[in-house]
Amino acid sequence: MLGLLEKDLRLTLTRKQTLLIFLVAALVMGMTMDGSFLVGYLTMLATITAVSTISYDEFDNGMAFLMTLPTSRKTYVLKQYLFSLLLAAAAWCVGLVLYGVMSAVRHSAAAPGDELPMLLAILPVLYLSAAVMIPLQLKFGSEKSRIVLFVLFGVAAILFVGVRNSFGGAVPSPDGLIMALSGLSPAVVLLSLTAVCALLALASYLCSVRIMEKKEF
Amino acid sequence: MVKVENLDKRYGDFRLQVSLEIPDGTVTGLVGKNGAGKSTVIKSILGLIRPDAGRVLINGKDAAALSSAEKALIGVALADSCFSSYLKVADVIAILRKTYPRFDEPFFRSSCAAQGLQLDKQIKDFSTGMRAKLRVLVAISHQAELLIMDEPTAGLDVEARVELLDLLRQYLAENDKRSMLLTSHISSDLESLCDDIYLIHDGRIVLHEDTDTILSNYAILKVDEAAYAALDKSHILRAKKETFGYACFTDEKQYYAENYPGIVIENGSIDELILMLTGGKSDAWPA
Repeated sequence: MLGLLEKDLRLTLTRKQTLLIFLVAALVMGMTMDGSFLVGYLTMLATITAVSTISYDEFDNGMAFLMTLPTSRKTYVLKQYLFSLLLAAAAWCVGLVLYGVMSAVRHSAAAPGDELPMLLAILPVLYLSAAVMIPLQLKFGSEKSRIVLFVLFGVAAILFVGVRNSFGGAVPSPDGLIMALSGLSPAVVLLSLTAVCALLALASYLCSVRIMEKKEF
Repeated sequence: MVKVENLDKRYGDFRLQVSLEIPDGTVTGLVGKNGAGKSTVIKSILGLIRPDAGRVLINGKDAAALSSAEKALIGVALADSCFSSYLKVADVIAILRKTYPRFDEPFFRSSCAAQGLQLDKQIKDFSTGMRAKLRVLVAISHQAELLIMDEPTAGLDVEARVELLDLLRQYLAENDKRSMLLTSHISSDLESLCDDIYLIHDGRIVLHEDTDTILSNYAILKVDEAAYAALDKSHILRAKKETFGYACFTDEKQYYAENYPGIVIENGSIDELILMLTGGKSDAWPA
C-alpha cells in the first residue's frame, strides 16, 4: 500500500507545472471570486488529479506489472480511494489557507471561520466525484469512462426531469430541500451529509473491488 | 516450486492447454513462436488472468491467492509492462523501498550506475534496451526466490545482453534455491542459461527436454534421396525435402552417427527445434 501511495504521489508530482497553473488560477480566483469557490475549485481539481493516476497506471499496459507487486487488487482499489481523499483533503486545506490570506489582504468582512460548516461540506460532496469516477475508470479505462460519465449524467438529468414532470408536487424540489435543511443545525446537516457521502463512497469502493477482481491483465 | 496443472484458457479461437513444472533451483526456458501462448502461461503463473480450468501452484499455494509476503519473493520482468514511463529511476527506487521489505538499494543503485541508467531521467526517455535493463534490475533487486522473465533481453545489443545474462547468472548462483522461468526469442540466451526447455506451439507443450539433451542428442541429418529411402526413420522426428535430398530432424544423433558413418550431421539447436517441431519450415512433415 505504501509503495503504491508513493507511486501515485510521485506520478502527481511529475505534473508540477500543471499543479502550479492550478494554484495560480486559484489565487487569481481567490482575489476576484467567492472564497468558498476557491476551496471547492482546488478540492475538485485535486480529486480529478488523484483519480487520473489510474490513467498513468493503465498507460503502456502498466497495470499488469503493478498487479505483480506484493499487493492485492483490493489494496490497489483501497489505495485509490485513500489517495483521492488525502489529495482532496490537502487541497481543501490549501484552499482554506488561501481563503484566509485573501480575506486578510482584502480586509474582507467574510472570513473562512464564518463559513466553516459550508466549507467543510465541500470535502465529502466533492469526494463523491472520485467515488463516481474511480469505478468507471477501472471498468472502462480513461477514454471510455468520460463518455460513460456524460451518458450517466444525461440519463440522470432526464430521469429527474421525467419523474418531476410525472409526479409534480410529490417530488421535493432542490429549493425545498435547502429550505428544509436550513431549519436544522449546521452540525446535524454536516454530519448527515458526511454519513451519506461515506455510505455512497463505500458502495462505490465495493463496486470497484468487484470490477478489479474480475479484471484480466 | 511452480506447478502448472492442466491449465486451460480460451481466447476466441485460441486455446491454451499446458502443464509444466519449475522445480526449486532450476532455470526453465519457455520457447515458441509469437502467439504460441508463452505470455498467457506467464500471466497465469502471475495470477494476471484467470484460467478456465486447471490451476497454478506456487510453493503449493494457488497463484491468484498469494499473500503480499509471498508475492514479494517473486521477481517479475514483463516484456511490455513496467512502472509508468513518466517516473524517473529515482522515483522507482523510492517506490521499491516502500514495496519490498528486502529491497537491496545499494545493489540497485550500483547496478543502475553500471548499466548507465541515470537516476534523474524519466523512463520514457530511455532507449528500448535501457528499459529492458531497468525491468530486469527491478526484478532482481529484492532477493526474489523465483524470477519470471518475459523476453528480458529483447531490444538489447550483444554486449548489453551478455552483461544482463551475467547479472542473472550471478543472481541465481548466489542461492541454490533460486529458480527462473524465462522466455526469449534468442536461442543462445536459452542455451546458455536454461536447465530445461519447454517448447510451446498453438497453446500446447510439444516438447519438454533438458537443454543438454537438446544440444547433445538432437541434430539435423542431411541425406540424398537414396540414403533417405534406406534410412531407419524410427528416430526421425521431422523431415523436409531440400534441393540436395532431405533434411531430417532427429533426437538420436548418436544412433545415426554410429550406424550411418558417411551421413552429414549438423548439431541441433533450439532454433532448429522450433522450426522443425512447430512447422516453421512449412513443408516439413512427420517422418
